Amino acid sequence: MFWRLVFQLLRGSRGRLAVAIIAIVSGAAVISALLNLDLGVQNKLTQEFRSLGANIVISPVSGAPAQISGAEVPSLMPEKDVVGVLQQLPSAQLAAAAPYLYIVARAQNIPVVVAGTWLDQSQKLDATWKVEGNWIASRDDNSRCLVGRNVARRLHLAVGNALELHYLDRSAHYSVAGIVDAGGTDDNQIFANLRAVQALANLPEQIGLAQVSVAGTAQVVADYAARLAAALPQYQVRPIRQVAEAEGALLGRIRLLIVSMVLLILILTALCVLGTMAALAMERRKDVGLMKSLGGSISRIVGIFLAEVGVLGAAGGLLGTILGAALSYWMGLRVFDTAIAPRWEVFPATIALMIVVTLTGALPLRMLGNVKPAEILRGE
Amino acid sequence: MATLVQVENLRKEFGNVRALDGVSFRVDAGAWIAIMGPSGSGKTTLINILGGLDTPTTGQAIVDGTDVGRLDEAGLTRFRAEKIGFIFQQFHLVPYLTALENVMLAQYFHSTTDENEARQSLERVGLGDRIEHLPSQLSGGEQQRVAVARALINHPKLILADEPTGNLDEANEEIVLSLLRELHAEGHTILMVTHAATIGRLADRRIEFAHGHLVQAAAASLKPELA
Repeated sequence: MFWRLVFQLLRGSRGRLAVAIIAIVSGAAVISALLNLDLGVQNKLTQEFRSLGANIVISPVSGAPAQISGAEVPSLMPEKDVVGVLQQLPSAQLAAAAPYLYIVARAQNIPVVVAGTWLDQSQKLDATWKVEGNWIASRDDNSRCLVGRNVARRLHLAVGNALELHYLDRSAHYSVAGIVDAGGTDDNQIFANLRAVQALANLPEQIGLAQVSVAGTAQVVADYAARLAAALPQYQVRPIRQVAEAEGALLGRIRLLIVSMVLLILILTALCVLGTMAALAMERRKDVGLMKSLGGSISRIVGIFLAEVGVLGAAGGLLGTILGAALSYWMGLRVFDTAIAPRWEVFPATIALMIVVTLTGALPLRMLGNVKPAEILRGE
Repeated sequence: MATLVQVENLRKEFGNVRALDGVSFRVDAGAWIAIMGPSGSGKTTLINILGGLDTPTTGQAIVDGTDVGRLDEAGLTRFRAEKIGFIFQQFHLVPYLTALENVMLAQYFHSTTDENEARQSLERVGLGDRIEHLPSQLSGGEQQRVAVARALINHPKLILADEPTGNLDEANEEIVLSLLRELHAEGHTILMVTHAATIGRLADRRIEFAHGHLVQAAAASLKPELA
C-alpha cells in the first residue's frame, strides 16, 4: 500500500511536480555531463599535451662540442645506451620515443640543419605537424626525407623533387616525400631517417639526444623520467616541466570550475524543489489532516511524502544522468574533438546527489507535522 | 449494557470562547445517539474531543476505558486508528485515491491492508462496481458511502458521524441513514451530529446542546449528568 500511495501521489500531483522534475532532470544532466567531463578530461588533456610533442628529453651532460672529422658537432651519446634502456622500461606508458642526430649539411650550397631520427615515430612525437605529401612510415626508408616549409621555400623544393645533401666530403640523395608545416623551428630543418644521417655524418650509432613521449599525468611523466635518470646516470634526463606544469595547472583549474558549477547547480536545484515542495505542502495540509484523523502518525505520513520526493529525485536523476552522458559525449566531440565515454560511476553518484538534493528541498514538508486535523476538517 | 463513553465535566475553551462548559453524560455500548443543537453550540467540538482530534481544556472524556485528554500525540494517533470511525459532512476522501484505496488507507494506518476486505466493505455499501473510481467520478451520496465503508473497515468501537447527510439529496440521505440503521442493528455505537429533527428521531436517544451546555437528554443508554 505504501508504494501504491506514493505513486498515486505522484500521479495526482504531476502538474505541480512537473516544475521540480524539470529542475531535477536539468540539474542531473548538467552535473552528469560535468562529472563525465571531469573524469574524462584528464585522459583527453593528457592526449592533448602529448600531441604537443615529447615530454622527456635525454641528452649528454652539457659540455664542449665534439670535433669529429674536422667538423664541430654537439656532444654525442651511443645510440644503444639510450635505446637499450627505453626497451627495458615498461612500454605501457611509453607513447613514442626517437633518437636524434642533428648536423648542419649543405643543400644547393646553402647550410641547412638536418635531423636524423626515426621518422616512423614522428607522427606520434610531432602530431601537430601538417605534412603536405606523405609521412615516412618506416625508419629504414633512407631514400626519402621530409623538408621543413621554410627550407622548401628557400630551396624551391616541392613534393617529389630530388634533394642532394653534402656534409664534408660525403653526399646523400633523397626525394622529398613531404613538406612539413610545424609552425616553429622545425620548419627550418630537413628530416631524414637516423641511419642515413649517421652515414652522411660518418657518426654510426651516435645520437645527439632522444625525445620521449610518456602518456599520463605530470606525476606519471616525472616518475618515468626519474626511472630513466636512474638507468642513465651518465646523461641528462629532463622532463619538459612547462608542459607538465601547464597540464597540472589547467587540470586543477578545470576541476575547480567543475566542482563550483556542480555545487551551484545543486543549490539551484534544491531551491527549485524547495519552492515546489512549499506550495505542495500547503496543498497537502487537508490530506494530512484527513490522514491524521484516520490514525496516521506524522512519521508515516511524511514518510510517504519523502518517498514520493525520493522517487522523484531518483527518476529525475536517472533520466538526467542519461541525458548528461549524451551531453558530455557531444561536448567531448566539440571541445576535445574526441568522444568522452560515459563513466559508470557517474550514474550512482548523480542519482544519489539528486536524491539528497530533493530530500533537502523537501524540508517544507516538515510543516505538515504541525497540522491540526480538527482545524483542517473544520475547513480552517 | 456496559458504558462505552463517559464524559465528566468536560470543558473546552478556544481563547476566550467556551465551546463546551461542564458537559457530563454516558453512552452505553451499542447505542445510537443524536447530538443536536444550533450552530456553535459545541456539537462538533464534542465529537472532535471524543474522536481524539482535539483535547479538552479540563474534564474527562473516556472512550472504551481510555481517557482521551491524557493521551499524548502518539497515543491519540493510535486511539483514532483503533477505536474511532469518522464520517464527515464533507466526506473528506483523498482526491487522488480510488474508492478502494481510500478504504485501504484507513487499513494501512491501522495495521495491514487487506484488499479483499476493503472490496467487501465497499460492496456492503452498494459500491461494488465503483471501487476503482476516483472521488471526482462519484456522486456525493457515493462518496459518503465510501466514507462509511472507510469508517467501518477497522471495526471501530465508536462511530462518530458529523452531519453525515448534510450534503446529500433526499435519495442519498436515505441510503446513508439506512446504512447507519444497519450498523446500529449490528451493535455498533454511533454518535451522530445532526441539525435535522427528523434524522435525530431515528436515533435511540437525543442530546441537545446550547452555548456549550447539554440542555436536554433522555435515554436508558444515555445517562445525563448535567453540570
